[in-house]
Order: sequence, then C-alpha cells, then structure tokens
Amino acid sequence: MLRPRTDRTGQGRLLRLTLSSLLLLILLPLASCRQESRVERATREKILLLGNGAEPKALDPHLVSSVGDANILRALFEGLVINHPESDTLHEPGVAERWEPNADFSEWRFFLRTNAKWSNGDPVTAHDFTYAYHRILHPEMAAPYASMLYFLKNAEAFNRGEIKDFAEVGVKAVGDHELVCTLDNPAPFFPDVVKHTTWLPVHRGTIEKFGKMTDNYTEWQKPGNHVGNGPFQLAEWRINAHVKARPNPHYWDAANVKLKGIDFYPIESPFTEEKAFRNGLIHLSYSMPESLIESYRKQENSPLRIETYNGSYFYRCNVTQSPTDNADFRRALAWAIDREVIVKYVTRGGQTPAYAFTPPSEEGYHPPQVVGYDLEKARDYLKKAGYTSGKDVPEFVIIINTLEAHKNIAMAIQDMWKKNLGIEKVRIENQEWKVYQQTVLDMRYDVARAGWIGDYVDPQTFLGMWVTKDSNNNTGWSNADYDRLLRESSRLSDPAARLAKLAEAEAVLLDGMPVLPLYWYTRVYLLHPDVRNWHPLLLDNHPYKHIGLVPSEKGGPQ
Amino acid sequence: MPAATSKNAIAIEKGSSLGRDAWLRLRKNHLAMASLWFTVFIVFISFILPLVPGIPNPNVTHPDLQSLPAFTSAKSMEGVEVFYLLGSDHLGRDVFSRILHGGRVSLAVGFLATFVSLTIGVVYGAVSGYLGGRIDAAMMRVVDILYALPFIIIVIILTTYFGNQLWLLFVCIGAVEWLTMSRIVRGQVLSLKRQEFIEAARSLGLSQWRILFRHLIPNTLGPVIVYTTLTVPAVMRLEAVLSFLSLGVQPPDASWGSLIKEGADLMGSDPALLIYPALVFGATLFSLNFLGDGLRDALDPKSSKD
Repeated sequence: MLRPRTDRTGQGRLLRLTLSSLLLLILLPLASCRQESRVERATREKILLLGNGAEPKALDPHLVSSVGDANILRALFEGLVINHPESDTLHEPGVAERWEPNADFSEWRFFLRTNAKWSNGDPVTAHDFTYAYHRILHPEMAAPYASMLYFLKNAEAFNRGEIKDFAEVGVKAVGDHELVCTLDNPAPFFPDVVKHTTWLPVHRGTIEKFGKMTDNYTEWQKPGNHVGNGPFQLAEWRINAHVKARPNPHYWDAANVKLKGIDFYPIESPFTEEKAFRNGLIHLSYSMPESLIESYRKQENSPLRIETYNGSYFYRCNVTQSPTDNADFRRALAWAIDREVIVKYVTRGGQTPAYAFTPPSEEGYHPPQVVGYDLEKARDYLKKAGYTSGKDVPEFVIIINTLEAHKNIAMAIQDMWKKNLGIEKVRIENQEWKVYQQTVLDMRYDVARAGWIGDYVDPQTFLGMWVTKDSNNNTGWSNADYDRLLRESSRLSDPAARLAKLAEAEAVLLDGMPVLPLYWYTRVYLLHPDVRNWHPLLLDNHPYKHIGLVPSEKGGPQ
Repeated sequence: MPAATSKNAIAIEKGSSLGRDAWLRLRKNHLAMASLWFTVFIVFISFILPLVPGIPNPNVTHPDLQSLPAFTSAKSMEGVEVFYLLGSDHLGRDVFSRILHGGRVSLAVGFLATFVSLTIGVVYGAVSGYLGGRIDAAMMRVVDILYALPFIIIVIILTTYFGNQLWLLFVCIGAVEWLTMSRIVRGQVLSLKRQEFIEAARSLGLSQWRILFRHLIPNTLGPVIVYTTLTVPAVMRLEAVLSFLSLGVQPPDASWGSLIKEGADLMGSDPALLIYPALVFGATLFSLNFLGDGLRDALDPKSSKD
C-alpha cells in the first residue's frame, strides 16, 4: 500500500524492457536465417570444417596417439602408402610409387616417387623416412606409440636401449628413392601398417633447427615453422579454437587436391558439437549425443551416419591390486554386465555387444565367444573369489574421462553390479582426458574405461597390446602362454593358421580377463550433404585429397 | 494499585528486544514470510521425505524405462513396477527422487559452506577491525590477495591434489566466501569501537577478548545475518557452477547443479529433465534472496524507509 508510485512505473518499464528483449531474442535467429551460414560460405570457398574431438596434443607424428590428432596429421603429412577413399583393404600409393615384398613377406621394398616434396620445397627422400623411424624409436624420445614400429627387425631392442646402433634396425635407404624394410616376422598386411601416423616421415632440417632430434614439443610444430609433405600445410593453430590447414603448393599431386583448406575444431562435448552442426558451423561432426540419435533417424535426408567402426569399448582392470587382482572377481564383474541393455538403451547407436575383445570386422577372424551375461555364473565366480556376498567387496573406483556417454555407461554398469552381485561400494570418478590418460598410464586406478580403435584391419592391432609390458597394456596383466601364442602367430605366413593362433591367444586373454569387453563401436556422426566422396570406412581414415565440397541442392537439411 | 504498577514496571523493563522487533517487522513482509516457509518446506522434503519408504532410490537404473513423462507407471524388464512422479531420466531413474537427493547435497553445501565462511569471516573481520593499525592493514591485504586469486583455478588445483571429494567442496567454497564477510564485519567493528558503550566497557577494565566477543560481535549481527542469507544462495550457485564443470558431486549422485547440467545437455530431446530441477533450484534461490531482503529491512528499519 505504501509503495511509492515511481516504484510501480519502474516495474512496468522493467517488464516492457524484458518483454522487448525476449522478443528480440526470438526474432534474431529468424533474421539470421536469411544470411549465408558459415558452412555455406566454406563450401563456396572449398574449405572443409571438421569437428575433431579434443584439442590436439601435438602435431608431431611421433608424439600423438589419439584419433583426433591422427586426423590432423593425415592432412599435413603423407606416408609411403595412403588410405583408399572407399576401402580399408585397398592401398593407394603415397610417397611410394610402388612396393614389393619378398617371397615370405618379411622384406619390403618401397620405391619412392622423385617428385615428392616437403612444404618448403625440399625433396622427400628415403633418408627422411629412416630419420623419422630413428627418431620415434629412440629411447630418449619416449614416443608413446613406438611399438607400432616393432615390426622392423631389432626395432624393439633399439627402442628399449638394448641396441645402441640404429644401423642394426631393419630399415635402410638405398639411394634417395628406395626404402628397404626388413621385418622380424612375415607380415602380409605390412602396407596396411605403414599407413599409420607413426610411419610418417618428418623433415630433419626443421626438427634440428629447433632442437635435438629427440626433443619433444619444440617450436617446430608451430605454424610458420611446421614442415610437412601432405596435401595441406599448417596455416594456423590456436589452442582450443582451431587448427587450419591450407594447400601445400609443393605437394606432388597438388593438381588433384579438391579442397582449398581444412579447419579442425576441437569440440569435446557432443552436445556442443551437435548444436554447431545444426547451426551450420561445421560440415562434419566427430561424435553425436546418444539422446538425439532417435530424432535424427526420423528426419528425411538425415545427416546422421551410423557406420561400423573397427573399435572395441572395454574396461581395463588393474590386476596388480585388490580387489581386481583376483581373476575370479574380474570374471564375476564381466558376467554380471548385461551388454544388450547397454547398447540398446544407453549407447543407442547400433553398437554390437562384445562377448570377446577383437571386433568381428576383421576378415576371416572369429573371436572366441567366451564372455556372456549369466548371473548364476557371475555369482559363482564371486564366491570363488572369496566373497560370500557383494557387500564384502571392498570399495573400488571406475575412472572415466569426462564425457556424458562414458558417465552413463559407468552408472548403468555400477547399478548392474549392485543389482546382480550386491556390490555396493563402487565409485565413479570423472577425469579430464589428459589427466585420465596419465592415470591409466601410471596404473593409479582399479577399473578404467577404455576404447581401442584398430590401427589397421587385422586382429594383431587388438591383441598385440596385451603382451607383457606393452606400452598400451596398462593393466599389469602378463601371461606367458599368451605371449608365446602371439609370438608363434607372428612367425606364420599362412593367413588362416595365423588367425587361428590369434584366436587361441584371445581365448587366453578372455580367460584371464584383465579387460571387461563391453561393445564394439559404431561411428555415429553427422555429415553435411555438401561433402563429397566421404565413404564409410572401417578405420575412418579418410584421405583428404579426394574429399570434395559441392553445394547441395536447396531443401537439404540446414 | 501496587500490582498493576509492578506489572507496568516489568513491561517497561522488559522492553522490546531487537530480535522481537525484527520478527514483528518481518511478519508484516508477506513475500519474506512466504519465502521463509518455502525454504523450510524445501529443506524438510529434501532431508525427511527420502527417508519415507516407497520413495525410489535415486540411483537405481531401469534403462528400458527411459525418458518417461510425469505421472507414469511402468513395468521394467526385470518385472519391477515403478511409478514416476516427475518422469524418468535417460537411464530410467526417478527424477523426483533425484531432485530430493540433489537438494540434500545443494542445501548441505549451501548451509555448511556458509557456516564455515561465517565463522572465519566474522572472527577475522572483528579482530582486524578491533586491533586496527598495522595489524589491520596487514590482515586486510591478505584478504585482498585472496580476493585476487581465481576461485575456479584454486578448486581445480585442490581437486587434482586431493581427488574429487565432497568435503573439499565445502572447504573450498567456505574458504572463498568468508572474504566479503570479513570486510563487512571489519567495517562494522571500526564504527562500533569508537562508541560510548565500548569505552564504558574498556573503562570497566574488561579484557580485550571479552569486549570483542561479548560486546562488539553481537552488535554486528544484523548485517551478518542479512549477508548470511545472501551467501547461502551464492554458495549454492557456486556449487552448481562446479557441478556444471564436473568438479562437484561424483556420479551417480546428484546435486541440483549437476541435474541442471545433465538436463541442459538433453534439453533438445527431453526438456523436462531441465525444467523440474531448474524450477526447484530457481524457486529456492529466489526465496532465500527474498528472505535476505526481508531480514535486511527487518533488522535495519532505517534503510528500508528510504
């Protein structure tokens, strides 16, 4: 009653202001619809805008190990053999014009093209490759992915520091344009292996201008300094904003490169990325929130793509500490997870429940189906592990890296263990991606979420990592039988016998159960119709030089 | 009438205390009273209602019953009959019960962290203001320095060091929020300590601590109470910010902040997951703010007349 009049009119003004600003908020997006979106402009300028997951750790092929980083490196560098745009098993000549193996596939000769050039105009020679392999294998480099080169004779011993002389490692440059790789064991799939980012060459002059050969993270990877031999060169790198690649004028096949540039955007959250795609900010998303899959499926001309992806989603168990050091306990955990429910209701992207570790996409390989969902068995194993009920199990923690999808899967599994086994003290801990990687590497965890994407299409890329002390093992698991079977398999040149041996090894792995397989990946992403020549690939390694951008007809999804 | 006189005498002697005056004034402020009752109600249902049997466990998942609307009853594939008062989330958990349990965390953080900041802030500010001089200058510079440190970064460093734990949240927030409180109390004490009743106390030979704790601090209570009611919502917002950055409560537990974050992510497909917790959180913040305003007017009648 006593409230002064001015107050009321003030309120009225405030209300009007709020209403008008609300109206403005509603009208603004409508107005902006008529403008050309960023994607439309980029299509016109032939610049591909890619969502690329996390911020790249490095642009040095010897330091990276994540999928997003490899996506950028594929634009900036070119290896001996490159990926075919339509199939993972076909090869396209890269720096090597042609290649030939000896009779038992243990020695490979690569004949390099003479017109291949670095982005500063220097010719690419076989010495650049031997220099790169020397660098990645050097013990002082401590490259996280050096084990990819263990195919080469003596490479492992050199990497461990047991051999000091690099000349003993099985790679030689014969003249400037011939590279000879001598392997430890026959590998008929070797051209697939050298497509991987770890086999890329590096420019010696540039690296040594900014430090020693083995120095990590020097200035050489900065824009302006960076020298590559790929179809594109590094133009700009702004942390947490973008990496821009522009055509490399010295690239040998520059005439056939269709794009005028690629911009990589580090967008970690699938939700943010989906919004960016919907608002015409990127051509292609790296991931996709599960909750929106259904609504995208219903759209006409949906940009949603669901493709088989050569990867396995699993939980690592730390076998060096209680309670996960007990194999029966790990078996109990594995048998109490209903994987059907997880792929059907939690991940929702057409994934396949995994009852083995290696995905079935590997041709001719039949993984043994050892694990299942059986509560009787799970409870038996729990008893065998020495727990009369789940309540006696001491507290343990599931480590996940921060992502909604991982959190949902972890919460579903936590609840399954509680419902099915009565295990109550399971905690979930979120960690930022880089912290999480270090935690797993240092084995400061009980159970850790993990995913493994094949580096090439062969079970070897999935099974090789569980060998004792492999740099990607990180569980502490070690089994002499397993190591022996894997060694034996690598000596066999008959493909069928080799795969049978690997299947035998996988049975040992699944019996020891240092990992709880959960599902086999699909790649779920959004693709703008302007992008041409982007075919489904098992490994998802698309050679950018074949990708084109053509404005799609009107009426396509916005 | 000796009896009547003595009654009058008692009435005069008793007078009307500051608290009683304030309460009477507060009661006339309907908005503040409604807010007070609403706050009590929210605290009650968050802490007591989950104890009632029949309220579902907030962390039990029914993945096949995801994203159901409010007031649905459904049978899960395990054959369990579930009733969802406010619908279910993307893992088939009961949203109503998650909001209740989330409220426990948010309110506990709100009140406990405020209590921590209140204790530190009042003592620090009172000592600084009363002692004055160089000690005061030094103590206030410490506050200035702490003010300058970015809060979020301190919390991130602490969580990487101690792991992501809930008690850390109380400590972190409490340790940051006391700064403003100490400045307010210091200002009050500076003006109070020159007044006659303090001089009287000093001339009576009371010890410094006794003057400080018996005579100075009780007289600063008005602004302190007001600021406290404003701190509680601020702290709850901070907790929401931290949960939003995945630094607060760990899954599967929820706080209002983390529920809102999850809801914001799923806004496009399931807006109810955002709307319900946001409504409850927003209403609680509003009522605490209104209550704070009401208390300020009640405890300091002069300022409300302007």
